[in-house]
Amino acid sequence: MPLPLYYNWRSLLQRRLSSSLTFILVAVVVFVLSVLLSFAAGINKSLAATGSLDNLLILKPGATSESTSIIKRHEADRLVQVPHVALNAAGAPLISRELCVQTSIPRINANKDPANVAIRGVDTVAFDIHQEVQIASGRKFQLGALEAIVGSAASQRYANLTIGSEITLGRLSNRIYKVVGIFDADGGALESEIWVGRTMLEDAYDRRFHSSVVIRLTDAAHATEAIQYISGPTVQLNAKQEPDYYAELSKTTAQIVELTTILIAIMVVGAIFAVANTMYAAVDGRKREIAMLRTIGFSKASILTAFIVESVLICTCACVAGLAACTLVHGSRRDFLSDTTWTVMAYELRITPAILAVAMGTAILVGAGGALMPALKASRTHVIEALRKA
Amino acid sequence: MLRLVYLYRNLTRNNMRTALTCAAVALPIVIYVLSTAVIDGLDRFLDNAAKQLRLVVSHRASIINPLPSGYRSKIESLDPERTRLRSVCGMGWIGGRIENDSRLLSTLAVQADTFPATFPEFKLTPEELAAWHRDRQAIIVGRATASQFGWKVGDRISIIPSLPPYTPMEFHVISTAPHAADPVTNFCRLDYFDEVRKEADVPTDIVSFFFVKCADKEALDHFGGAIDELFAHSPDQTRTQDEKAFMTEFITQQFDLPTNLTILAAVTIFVAVMAAANTMSMNFRDRINELAVLRSIGFSGLALAGLILCESLLLCGLGGLIGAGIPFVAFNFTSLKELTVPVIQAIIVEPNVCVEAFLVALAVGVVAAVWPAIAATRLTVVAALRNLE
Repeated sequence: MPLPLYYNWRSLLQRRLSSSLTFILVAVVVFVLSVLLSFAAGINKSLAATGSLDNLLILKPGATSESTSIIKRHEADRLVQVPHVALNAAGAPLISRELCVQTSIPRINANKDPANVAIRGVDTVAFDIHQEVQIASGRKFQLGALEAIVGSAASQRYANLTIGSEITLGRLSNRIYKVVGIFDADGGALESEIWVGRTMLEDAYDRRFHSSVVIRLTDAAHATEAIQYISGPTVQLNAKQEPDYYAELSKTTAQIVELTTILIAIMVVGAIFAVANTMYAAVDGRKREIAMLRTIGFSKASILTAFIVESVLICTCACVAGLAACTLVHGSRRDFLSDTTWTVMAYELRITPAILAVAMGTAILVGAGGALMPALKASRTHVIEALRKA
Repeated sequence: MLRLVYLYRNLTRNNMRTALTCAAVALPIVIYVLSTAVIDGLDRFLDNAAKQLRLVVSHRASIINPLPSGYRSKIESLDPERTRLRSVCGMGWIGGRIENDSRLLSTLAVQADTFPATFPEFKLTPEELAAWHRDRQAIIVGRATASQFGWKVGDRISIIPSLPPYTPMEFHVISTAPHAADPVTNFCRLDYFDEVRKEADVPTDIVSFFFVKCADKEALDHFGGAIDELFAHSPDQTRTQDEKAFMTEFITQQFDLPTNLTILAAVTIFVAVMAAANTMSMNFRDRINELAVLRSIGFSGLALAGLILCESLLLCGLGGLIGAGIPFVAFNFTSLKELTVPVIQAIIVEPNVCVEAFLVALAVGVVAAVWPAIAATRLTVVAALRNLE
């Protein structure tokens, strides 16, 4: 027969100081673990939300990102006959030529340190291709006017990017664009960008080429065929499905996760030792009590489980507290400079269900791992000897 | 003497508890040492950057926008005698990777003639210098990169630049830069890259930034403003910073490692305090009768507090010694260094970091002993003895 949970709860309350110290310790470990993982989750979420499987992003072979890719106009012209290109209502193929440049804009924070923000020059057709881009307030820019629309993440993080404000662009810093709209992009990477008309931008930066071309296919199932055609002798460019391209940008997060895992693993082992220490003390202090329980008929197994349950109980409570503290950072916005594109990308710290599961798992591991040896010791208590000492 | 024996006996009284506490203090100290080592590595890198008295001139709009390589002679014309402005070296970022490998390299194409003078900390040997000037395909590879890819001096390697024309370029490794502050970045010659670009008909004679070596601090401050003024009315305006400011901007923008690691180190120390405090309070509770007896035979409350403090210091000191010792030995005297993991190669665990970590462990011991020590001075003998079982 197992011991009632109530017994464990009362036992924990019995030694308040040591229970609360263990509680704080585990809560802190869970908190740090979750916050570090939420960085990676946030970046991944933002990158995973970017792009559609129906879209092919085309770069010059060898280029690793849009910022280092140069596609000459005649090369882009060869893309008109790509098989399975979707058409818009007017019957025009959904092929978007895009130019990416960067500009330095101060952040909205105490230091006002500059961030490298991506500027994307697009034609009207881009809105049919990047369907996640939706105007949230204001309106779209007009082709031929010095007007820009700004992603909502960029608008919140960088200075003077609200409707009505002005952005100075151009190689000679002589084109004053006016912000006329703010757009959302399902929380994806495009929300960190500024969009303007392509031809005017090419002119402003004296670029006689495109950075990338994005094509929308009728169906993602045709992607392989289209990619083969594009890399083949007729076009000789490099196409990827959009999500694949953005997934490659998330390599930074892999490093963060690696570093986090090493550090947290060390911390978790430390926490297990600390919990084991507390539980040993608990077992030693309750020798007679355990002997008593054995005498009135509780089995060795139920004593063993009781101590493990007790330890897991407090660790689980601590885990909940640690996660509750995490809600403070959940949703706060950060950005990172991708070392592939050299532009900043905003993301939100996110406590995802996976992180909850990892945190809970870690807490239970700490609780059970720490209690195992002490609980074994408890279950082996020599009844007569323990009682005789009374 | 007697007291030392007493302390020793107390520590060995519950070996399991002592061992567990030591471990629970040692592991956070390991984390502390590692994070401090990483932060120190960055600091050292930045301090070296500051010591070199160099300015970095980049495009005003953003670091990606190129500058004409001809700007070099204009900058040089600010001080034709070259007394205060020692040398100017333009460089272009070409990134790069090797065939059939997704790992990205960090490679810079630099103006070969002024590179050695602008970066004297590389301490190139006369033979290396001769090879650098003679061979257009010369490349100085970062030592960490070299061991990661197994490159040695004399090797011929092929790198695909991340910039147009993206065609593979052949290089001859002439040095693995044992003294360079940055163990990762490779340096090749700009004239070779420009030649490749010219053949492929892509824009050439452009660089990402100029490094300007100044003679002294005063010259550094002066030219910082003078260079931007020089180009204020030109098509490509410049932004001139000292090297440290330039590098700091890079590091904090990526994943602000210094800040995040500092927070992490602080939190782990907090965990160590919790673990040690727990043990000390348990020890106190277990021995409350004994302390009462000591009180009643004439030891003062302060003496008892001292004993508790010493025990806590011993316990945490031992943990600190282990925690600081493991990474110190592992990173300095084992073959761990030879692992080709860049993260590990970038870490240098210096003795002073370990000493600092040990002191932190002692501080943990002090904090952990505060509550039991105060309680010991306030101990009422009668009440404590009454609880005697």
